[in-house]
Amino acid sequence: MLRSLSLYWRLVGVQIRAQLQYRTNFWFDVITAGMMTIISFGSLALIIQRFGSIAGWSLAELAFLYGMVEAAFGVMDMLFSGFDPGTFGRQVRLGLLDQLMLRPVDVVLQIFSSDLALRRLGRITQGAFVFILAIYWLDISWTLPKVLYLPLVFFSMVCFFGGLFVIGSAVTFWTVDSIEVMNIFTYGGAEMMSYPMNIYSNWMRRVFTYIIPAIFLNYYPALFFLDKPDPFGMPSVVYWLSPVVGFCTLWLGLSFFSFGLRNYQSTGT
Amino acid sequence: MNQVSHQSVPLIQVEKLCKQFTVRKHHLGTLAFMRNLFSLQVRVIKAVDDVSFSIQPGEIVGYIGPNGAGKSTTIKILTGLLVPSGGDVRVDGYLPWRDRIAYVRRIGVVFGQRTTLWWDLPVIESFELLRHVYSIPNTRFQQNLAEFRRILELDEFLDTPVRSLSLGQRMRADLCAALLHEPKLLFLDEPTIGLDVVAKERIRQFILHINKQRQVTVLLTTHDLSDVEKLCERVMILDQGRLLFDGDINHLILRFGGQRRLVVDFVENYPLIQVEGAHVLSRNGFQVTFQFDRQSVTASELIGRLSLQYRIGDLQVLEPDIEETVRNIYEQGLLYDHE
Amino acid sequence: MRLFFELAWRAFQRQMAYRSAAFAGLMTNFFFSLLRVAVMVALYQGRIEVAGVDLRQATTYTGLVQAVIGFLSIFGWYDLMNNVYSGAIAADLLKPMSLYKFWLAQDAGRAIAQLLLRGIPLMAAYALFVGVIVPTNAIQWLAFMVSLVMAWLVSFSFRFLLNLTSFWSPNSLGISRFGYMLVWFLSGFMFPLRFFPGWFVTFCQLTPFPSMVNTVNEAFLGMVDGPALLKSLAVQGLWLGMLILLGQWVLQKGIRRLVVLGG
Repeated sequence: MLRSLSLYWRLVGVQIRAQLQYRTNFWFDVITAGMMTIISFGSLALIIQRFGSIAGWSLAELAFLYGMVEAAFGVMDMLFSGFDPGTFGRQVRLGLLDQLMLRPVDVVLQIFSSDLALRRLGRITQGAFVFILAIYWLDISWTLPKVLYLPLVFFSMVCFFGGLFVIGSAVTFWTVDSIEVMNIFTYGGAEMMSYPMNIYSNWMRRVFTYIIPAIFLNYYPALFFLDKPDPFGMPSVVYWLSPVVGFCTLWLGLSFFSFGLRNYQSTGT
Repeated sequence: MNQVSHQSVPLIQVEKLCKQFTVRKHHLGTLAFMRNLFSLQVRVIKAVDDVSFSIQPGEIVGYIGPNGAGKSTTIKILTGLLVPSGGDVRVDGYLPWRDRIAYVRRIGVVFGQRTTLWWDLPVIESFELLRHVYSIPNTRFQQNLAEFRRILELDEFLDTPVRSLSLGQRMRADLCAALLHEPKLLFLDEPTIGLDVVAKERIRQFILHINKQRQVTVLLTTHDLSDVEKLCERVMILDQGRLLFDGDINHLILRFGGQRRLVVDFVENYPLIQVEGAHVLSRNGFQVTFQFDRQSVTASELIGRLSLQYRIGDLQVLEPDIEETVRNIYEQGLLYDHE
Repeated sequence: MRLFFELAWRAFQRQMAYRSAAFAGLMTNFFFSLLRVAVMVALYQGRIEVAGVDLRQATTYTGLVQAVIGFLSIFGWYDLMNNVYSGAIAADLLKPMSLYKFWLAQDAGRAIAQLLLRGIPLMAAYALFVGVIVPTNAIQWLAFMVSLVMAWLVSFSFRFLLNLTSFWSPNSLGISRFGYMLVWFLSGFMFPLRFFPGWFVTFCQLTPFPSMVNTVNEAFLGMVDGPALLKSLAVQGLWLGMLILLGQWVLQKGIRRLVVLGG
């Protein structure tokens, strides 16, 4: 386990050094990559004065939701860059997977350490900035459970999106080119989670509750943190489902990926 | 030439190996996507068909055959990349694809077409990374590295990123990388492809060296018959998934590599050219191509006879290529040959 | 002129070949549209109209925005820059056509294909599932189409300029991304510009970006008519002229530089 970690650091370090070689491009990328976050939120902030709130959520409360999603997605995007379905699909197609399988290291670990897109730092910092702004504006009564639960929720979201990425990559074992619908789940999912769930029509909300349980990832925890009432009257256990959803998705993704890898070994595509 | 150990337990044991691929033939034309949804024509390709052999520790074995013969498939199975459809494979006691991580630690692999090193890194850094990947104790690593650096003359490009290396340099780096962790078994897939004569020689010398000094068993696939001639005592020939020949290389050449060719550029345009032991295959101005049987006359004898009668400007000896030899074997209906 | 059409036609065919990718993009567009509609409805919260825009217009606006993403290459167009970096630009410059027209022709083919594969189907889906309002009379339709073509021309001229930076800098990708971000922010891509505070709108109008998205959307929605409509079309034309002139000037300088460097 320790050896795996140290190997991970070593391999990732290689990537980081390679990226930092192109210094000007790198900083440019970091800034521009994250600007969408600021532009998106900035636009909302500028127009909200005409509307007051969205479904009972003030700008600051929206910032809380939005900032957390952006920062978590950014962290995931950075850590799981090796599993970006587009990149991985290409690797599979070019047969670069064989190179990994000839080394006495777990393939999944190698893929994790094959890329760490530092440029995602832009999205991460801007998301964090919006989130911190929200905390500053809002008057949250911080209790110990809240303080402990917050990082857990963040971590769960990273795992959730990461799991989706891994699933998207695993699919390329069969389809070779990544399927676009995965983008709807990952990027679309993040966008969807940036707003309070009560703005979505019933059928959409049911999809995000029972099919892809994204509602438990940040919406219910947000209700908990912000002391807002539950408009859907769900049992109180749902507030704590965030880690369950996150870890299960990741676990599912990795299992599916292992299955895909074994299948790759049999068919040798 | 080779250090063959006389142990009875083979290092590689392959029994009735089969591998088939199902290829889906897609329909073409109008409404194709509809038809593809409902019925797909399936074609079964037998890449490897009932192949059996065993390799003892210390051997250098050539594994040859035309393109599409199933060589790469066999190598992929032996290196754990592919699961066979049928048959038994044991390498050093392992089932390559199942015990992958433990097994791969004990073998070295070099692919002619792809590098095993990190593309953007200087060669030495790739080696260092491999040291950690294979958990090689530092002293052993330094010793091995020093030796390989010397023999393969790596110093000139140790600090160059792999992407900037010439093909010959990359092959040498890959060879070094494959042996740093002291594997007992080395798989070489087209290691001299695209290299010039000098580079090929250097690679071959190195392979002989590690086989002699370190008793590394080598399984070599190649299109270059001279690779096989210079390195292997034993050769296996594969065609369309079947093992056609497994035996001594001299035997192979004597039996099937019969007709050689001598291409001579004469100084004058001699009207009539005749020589004992060979017949004229074609003429092109000053250039004449002779065909002769290896068993009836040697090249040097032939050249000697010619130079007594004619003035020779330049000459070249052409060996029958592998396709010809294999075709000969197949036409003779020979499927498998015990030693 | 015939060369122009041939180039456009070939580019059109190339885009049409990527039908499945376009369909996938359409799915993504549609999904994001649904989200945007939900946000818009939630914003309105029962209000009839805000800043002169009623809910139907606002939701149709979100559809239009998604529909023009492919048409205007809103998320970036880097073909010219890639040619410069790969050296293929040499072949382009040898053609008997100004570089601008050469790429304009190809972009025309591409844009029309995108419109057919993504833009129109998206609006059709909108009409089915969300409900849209459309121009009510022939003049409005005409004005909309003129505005659409103008928007495309303005967008292309801007993208052309961004790609020209590759003649000078190896960081053209980063520079361009920054440029495209300005488009997202200032063109009315996020929300109708009418929703924004006055000072922001004024600032946007100092740029060509509203002419790419906001103007054409408003024309479609009939939010401007008569003299105001003519004015916005004229503004589009003005920006187009400026961008073309700037583009020509930069191009000349760029070519000279390229030739001097022999690259």
